[in-house]
Amino acid sequence: MTMLDRTGRDRHGRDRHRLALSLLVIGGVLVASSCRSGKSLSSAGYPNRTKPATTTTVAATAPPAITLAPGVTLAPGDTLPVATTSTVAPTDPPTTLPRPLDSLPKCNTSVLDTASASGPVNITFWHGLANELGTELQTLTDQYNASQNKVHVNLEFQGGYDQTIDKYLQSNQDNRPDMVQMPEYMVQQMIDTKSTVPTQACAESDSYDLSKFIPQTLRAYASQSVQWSMPFNVSLPVLFYLKPRFVAAGLDPDNPPQTLDELLAACKQIVASKASAKSISLDSDFDGGGGWFIEQWLAKAGEFYADNQNGRAAPATKVLYDGAAGVQLLTFLKSLVTDGGAAYVGDNASGTDTLLKLADKDAPAAMTIATSASLGPVLAFVKGGIIPGITADQVGVSYMPGPGGGLGGLVGGASLYIVNKGDAKAAAAWDYMKFLDSAQSQSTWAAATGYVPVRTDALDLDPIKTVYVSDPRFKVPYDQLLGSKDAPTSEGPVIGPLLQVRKVTAAAVATVLQGGDPQAALTSAAQQADDLISNYAAQNGG
Amino acid sequence: MAIDHVSSGRKVGRYILLALMAAVVLFPIYVMVIASLKPGNKAFVHPLLPGDFTFSTLREAWNSGSLGRALWVSTIVSVIVTLAEVITAILAAYAFVFLKFPGQKIIFAIFLATLLVPLEATLTVNRRTMQSLGWLNSYKALTLPFLATAFGIFMIRQVFLTIPKEMREAASMDGLGHIGFMYEVAVPLSRPTIGALALFSFLTSWNQYLWPNLVTTNAKYNTVQTGLKALRFASLDKPNLVIAGTVIVALPIFVVLIAFQRQLVRGLTAGAVKG
Amino acid sequence: MKKRRWRDAGLAAVLIGPSAAVLGLFVIYPLLKAVWLGRERCSNAKCSTNGWHQYVDAFRSNEFQDALVVTLKYALITVPIGLVLGIGLAVLADKYIRGVGIFRTIFSSTVATSVAVASVMWFFLFNPNIGVLAHYLGGVFKSPGLLQDSHTALWAVSASSIWANLGFTFIVVTAGLQSVPKDLYESAYVDGATGFGRFTNVTLPMISPTLLFATVVLTTRAFQSFGEIDILTAGGPAPTNPTTTLTYLAYGKGLPTSGDDGLRSTVSVLLFFVLLVLALVQFRGLDKRVHYGN
Repeated sequence: MTMLDRTGRDRHGRDRHRLALSLLVIGGVLVASSCRSGKSLSSAGYPNRTKPATTTTVAATAPPAITLAPGVTLAPGDTLPVATTSTVAPTDPPTTLPRPLDSLPKCNTSVLDTASASGPVNITFWHGLANELGTELQTLTDQYNASQNKVHVNLEFQGGYDQTIDKYLQSNQDNRPDMVQMPEYMVQQMIDTKSTVPTQACAESDSYDLSKFIPQTLRAYASQSVQWSMPFNVSLPVLFYLKPRFVAAGLDPDNPPQTLDELLAACKQIVASKASAKSISLDSDFDGGGGWFIEQWLAKAGEFYADNQNGRAAPATKVLYDGAAGVQLLTFLKSLVTDGGAAYVGDNASGTDTLLKLADKDAPAAMTIATSASLGPVLAFVKGGIIPGITADQVGVSYMPGPGGGLGGLVGGASLYIVNKGDAKAAAAWDYMKFLDSAQSQSTWAAATGYVPVRTDALDLDPIKTVYVSDPRFKVPYDQLLGSKDAPTSEGPVIGPLLQVRKVTAAAVATVLQGGDPQAALTSAAQQADDLISNYAAQNGG
Repeated sequence: MAIDHVSSGRKVGRYILLALMAAVVLFPIYVMVIASLKPGNKAFVHPLLPGDFTFSTLREAWNSGSLGRALWVSTIVSVIVTLAEVITAILAAYAFVFLKFPGQKIIFAIFLATLLVPLEATLTVNRRTMQSLGWLNSYKALTLPFLATAFGIFMIRQVFLTIPKEMREAASMDGLGHIGFMYEVAVPLSRPTIGALALFSFLTSWNQYLWPNLVTTNAKYNTVQTGLKALRFASLDKPNLVIAGTVIVALPIFVVLIAFQRQLVRGLTAGAVKG
Repeated sequence: MKKRRWRDAGLAAVLIGPSAAVLGLFVIYPLLKAVWLGRERCSNAKCSTNGWHQYVDAFRSNEFQDALVVTLKYALITVPIGLVLGIGLAVLADKYIRGVGIFRTIFSSTVATSVAVASVMWFFLFNPNIGVLAHYLGGVFKSPGLLQDSHTALWAVSASSIWANLGFTFIVVTAGLQSVPKDLYESAYVDGATGFGRFTNVTLPMISPTLLFATVVLTTRAFQSFGEIDILTAGGPAPTNPTTTLTYLAYGKGLPTSGDDGLRSTVSVLLFFVLLVLALVQFRGLDKRVHYGN
């Protein structure tokens, strides 16, 4: 055994040598750390630019926003949905001026008949809906495939929204599907991929009637006068609360708080009465309390999140949430923790921590805010007896409390894009899309999942008609959405790097909920967000 | 082990310690198996106790993750990768040990250096390569980058080095060529190490996560690990769905492990360890 | 001699060819290409070249520096603890007593779990509301939860990773122990060495090559960890992000690198250089041992 030779002095010598080297490495790291630039990784490689806030004047020169999804105005002979009439731009469409749509890929829905003459047009649809949602979508799709012989749809689940996004952005056009589902924060980035056929083009070609759609659901996916995609699964954050704990605190279980002041008062009463150890559970998930909710609250307050009308009149150049309204909001959230006995559960990366806090056996919360899409699972979960003494019927659902009340909010969830892969595929995708957005499909879909139907006439049809009557809790997000203020602030931000912006915003919320200063946290977040936006703009040619 | 005159008292102590450590190691696995045998909304009511016994969660995980198909894909991919990796490693290692050729040292050094390249540093470009070859969603994409590894070459080289050069010379005098010597002498002598390499490459391939995810968009080519992702966003009332999936995915490997354990340990004894 | 070198060249080319092709196409070429790509920034498939200073900028950026420290911490936690536990278990199960085979199987069982599987398991164990640990132990497991507290998150991720790697370390060390000639113990025993003395004077030096091998593998795994971070913490908790390692910084979601092949390459290549420096340190030891077979 030659290894024996390596004992003793030789070994120690080598060890010393290694130690010296290790020290060198650690020393090197320390030196390297000391040359920390203090800049963000997102600016790596770019020359130092002047602050975007001082260089951009787009806001001033931008044309007035056309706040209505153009598709709506195009339906011949239709009256416009009530909520939108007051903001409609001059009623005569500017036919003489070139419309933004004219320079975008065209759609000819009539080619479907010839294309499918010798057999159905096969299309691939990438989606991010797991579990029951995926199963339900499969059921609808099977129904569609069986109902006609022009189009055959292959569903391909990509493992969630984030993976759909990754794969879509990484693929070249050949490897992309014919149709894709993207979450609401992807609008601007999808536009910038220049890879889709705007659904408006197909709607026009098909003279499709959009009048029964809830206008907010269309407008969420319209920007700079173009309807880019069709809404499909719509959700909003709502308030979940446990009625017995409200009763124990002396609160009216049928009148949950609606304004922020009422919320704080209720919180105080809950912890003071010891009805529940914690009042409300809060998170800083970028897709929840840290990002999406902030956008919702600003919309409820009638404030813009980003300039250029949330980026819908012209590309956004900076965020505005570090203004007075944002600071006020975060100061309020902080007071919920410091004075209101709120429980901060962290990043909530799994999306379930805030809800599970209601089931905590030692220090449970009495309320939380979560997406309406979790309503069904929450009730099933409670039914299992996870919260002692609480039945599924005793779970209350109400509007998300906000500045100026609970009504109103932004469309969340995801929408459907047609990928530009030729007329036949586009026409086929459009046909399938029409099926998914039909009143009957939406009624079935909403009843099975808890999503908000995208059109009002779905409510006249079973099963959702019965569900809304028998369990009004499911109708809460619908009413909340329809109660939105008729103002440009009721359409959420479209920003290229919105996901990254949400992430830095979420960090600010996390800081504040752990005791940080709202103004400082927001200023720093806004600066990072502005960098992200200007870097993105530079990369995408302004 | 004549020298281990373990007194019975110390023996008991050792058993207690062993049992304790075994309990610690097995604890997470136990919890998962229990949870996978309960209905979703009861999974965590009494997390350590069995109860409300049902196979429905496992069945649902099997179905919604399409794990049957995924097990098949994973098996094919892992078998291909394992066979190829072992063969390429034997061939290359043989050349490095028993042949003399120009640039030998440099080539070996370059091979060895590839050990240091993190998989992540190559992912983006490799995906582009697959895309431009039109090989996304294929077994080619799933297996090709792993058909040879520096780790395998290095491991086999180490055991080949222990074969005395005199044996090669004697065989050569008997008229045995390189291929004959490799096949009849070198490989049989290195069998334990080759077995260990095979097992390791099988495990590594089976557990691949990032890469299969990157080059597949079609569930037809989901491996077990990417099949799990379908369950990852399990909703609140079925938190144990993904757990049931992990149990299903880990089970075959568990069986392989128990079956080949002796070989694994022996192979490592003979091979990489002495390196 | 010279002649012989060339005579073998043809056969050598054939034998090495397949490996060289695979390693060349899928390891060396992509690495070189990534080095090139690392000078670019991309968005929506449009890339623009900025130049080599992008590496310097990225290296000096807050995120990279933070992630570098996190990665080093993570390696410094997982590697020594994992090794010590692996050695302990292997020594414990090395004695020949009845039923030891069962324990060996149990201790090596965690190699059957992939990163994804192990992380899912620990995610549920650590859950502050429904997790088993919170359920029975309470305390810090409960509020706010190990994965939710910025002081404990990295330790919690490490626990998951140490557990997942334990089977590997155990197997390797067990194999090392079995290669130690028993007569060495015998003579140490005769010399009157105590159990601990025999361990430090005979066992440890004898299995040091094994330990080095395990150290290299564990360190590499620590530096390349992605799955456990992605599943357990997604780099959080915010705002300090104490679990955003270099690999996660390159491939995590919602980060400056997301959707930017250029910046991803920059970070990945920098990670390669960090590994290179580290490997130089580690391989110095390994190098001395690899040639003794000749």
